[in-house]
Amino acid sequence: MQNKRLSGHPKSAEPGEGRFDLHDLPPEVFYDQVHSFEFWFQAVQGYLSNKVYGVDPNIAPPDLPDLDRDRLITVLCNYCVGETAALEGSSGLIGIAPNRQTKIFLSTQVVDEGRHLEVFLHRLQLLGVADPESEVERRASRSLMLFKRRLLELVNGKDWEAAIFAQNVILESLEFTVFQSHAREADPLTRDLLLGIVKDERRHIGFGENELGRRLQLAPHIRARLGQVKRELDHLVLDTLEETLLELGADSSEREKLGRAYLEAAARLGLGT
Amino acid sequence: MADFLAAYSIQNWLESCPQGYLVGTVYGHRPEEEEPAALLENEILREEAIRTTVQLVVGERCALAASSGLINAAPDEASKRFLATQTLDEARHVEIFTQRLLDLGVPKKDLESTIQHFANPNLVKFAEVLLEKVDKKDFVAGVVGQNIVLEGMAFSVFEMMHAISEPTNPKFAHMLSGTIADERRHVGFGENRIGSLIKQYPERKPDIEKLQKEMSYWMLATFADAFRNNPARAEFKRIEGELGRAGVHAEWQGVDLLTMEPEEMEHLLADTVLKEFKIRLGRIGIEYQTPARP
Repeated sequence: MQNKRLSGHPKSAEPGEGRFDLHDLPPEVFYDQVHSFEFWFQAVQGYLSNKVYGVDPNIAPPDLPDLDRDRLITVLCNYCVGETAALEGSSGLIGIAPNRQTKIFLSTQVVDEGRHLEVFLHRLQLLGVADPESEVERRASRSLMLFKRRLLELVNGKDWEAAIFAQNVILESLEFTVFQSHAREADPLTRDLLLGIVKDERRHIGFGENELGRRLQLAPHIRARLGQVKRELDHLVLDTLEETLLELGADSSEREKLGRAYLEAAARLGLGT
Repeated sequence: MADFLAAYSIQNWLESCPQGYLVGTVYGHRPEEEEPAALLENEILREEAIRTTVQLVVGERCALAASSGLINAAPDEASKRFLATQTLDEARHVEIFTQRLLDLGVPKKDLESTIQHFANPNLVKFAEVLLEKVDKKDFVAGVVGQNIVLEGMAFSVFEMMHAISEPTNPKFAHMLSGTIADERRHVGFGENRIGSLIKQYPERKPDIEKLQKEMSYWMLATFADAFRNNPARAEFKRIEGELGRAGVHAEWQGVDLLTMEPEEMEHLLADTVLKEFKIRLGRIGIEYQTPARP
């Protein structure tokens, strides 16, 4: 698909043509480009076309041993809690977003999060869970529920920087870390589903880091506030990570490694580990 | 309810919208299509196209704020997921109509001031009435206001504009046809989801009927400004005459719009929208309230 906004620009080749590098664009054109429906449309076409509920329809649902199936159900239920938090958080953020481009980017994130929730619920049904929503409520991790509550308080309090930090940096980094790790060991159907979601999460984290990075440069005093939010949420995130990785059967060194990977995401914004 | 909501899944939306009628489009139209030179070179028509497009941007911004705001008020997961697709639909509409302003020659730096300048104050009031309900997380009133009143109005307005644009401006007609397809889905959800909620909460009816009456009044006032008080009226008449002589027709609701006086078009549009409101509200168990005529 051609991109009108880039026409006439020296780097106006299409994404995917090799010489195109979005990051070479002037900042204003870059933000206009990446925060558009058109950009989202092009991005997801690459990995969602021919997928049904996030997976290649040729992959058959595997038969899992009872214990593995039960653990996977618990893990997926908690993924649903995280995605519901992200859906409600990102939709709430549209109302307080500072400009049109940011509102449009967050709208693409809203549909991404809604899709993640839908594909996880569908996977639960394939595992034989008759009423996935009740199962989610029953198996939800307490730490994750507390995280969700705090995130929505930040959104409802119209605290833009803190809410974007909690959602697009902390929550998305947690999901990115866990989903990537889980995909390595998962059955083929769950792996295919997770790898598609990871691609979305990368876009969301990029937005969060970019938005906050720019704001931190302009107003360094925000750093202290974000550090406070991080300290408040870290233990909830690390507890959730630990619980999920235990369900996935990760050993202690893997759990430590992933804990560090999550903390590095915040460190990239200069918020320390 | 679960079965009906399954039809509004994100999977269905992906297949029908981004992977369906939007394939091969850029900003909602075919890549090679442009605004007609006859419009861009006629200062009166160009300004009128900007004024009209600004109203579309204002309406779609309201719809974006409302649909995203209603997600957190939705009583079930499936409604949240449908509203997620609606949120992105509305954001896409904001994007394509904003892009049209740029295509019509509005400098990027002047976008917001142009929108402020041309936004119809009655349409702004219409939006405020709806967003007040959304801010209060009133899901039932919010969905009636958004998916039946606002989307119902947009549906008929876009259809009328589409009828006029099809023979004269294929680019804008294509943008509108994708938007109409979206609006049809939104109105369908509103009717189906709210019917059961109204049965569950019949005490909400008077409040919702008041909302419909109030929003309808501001809508009619917006139409009155667009047709009766339009500064480009004489130029429209001249062009319609030229198109008529060239054998061009714009059929909608069984009449040729190009042969009508602005007041006649206003009445046709208002009557069509209000008739649709009456039918749709009746289906969900709400009694239609006749608004005052501005």
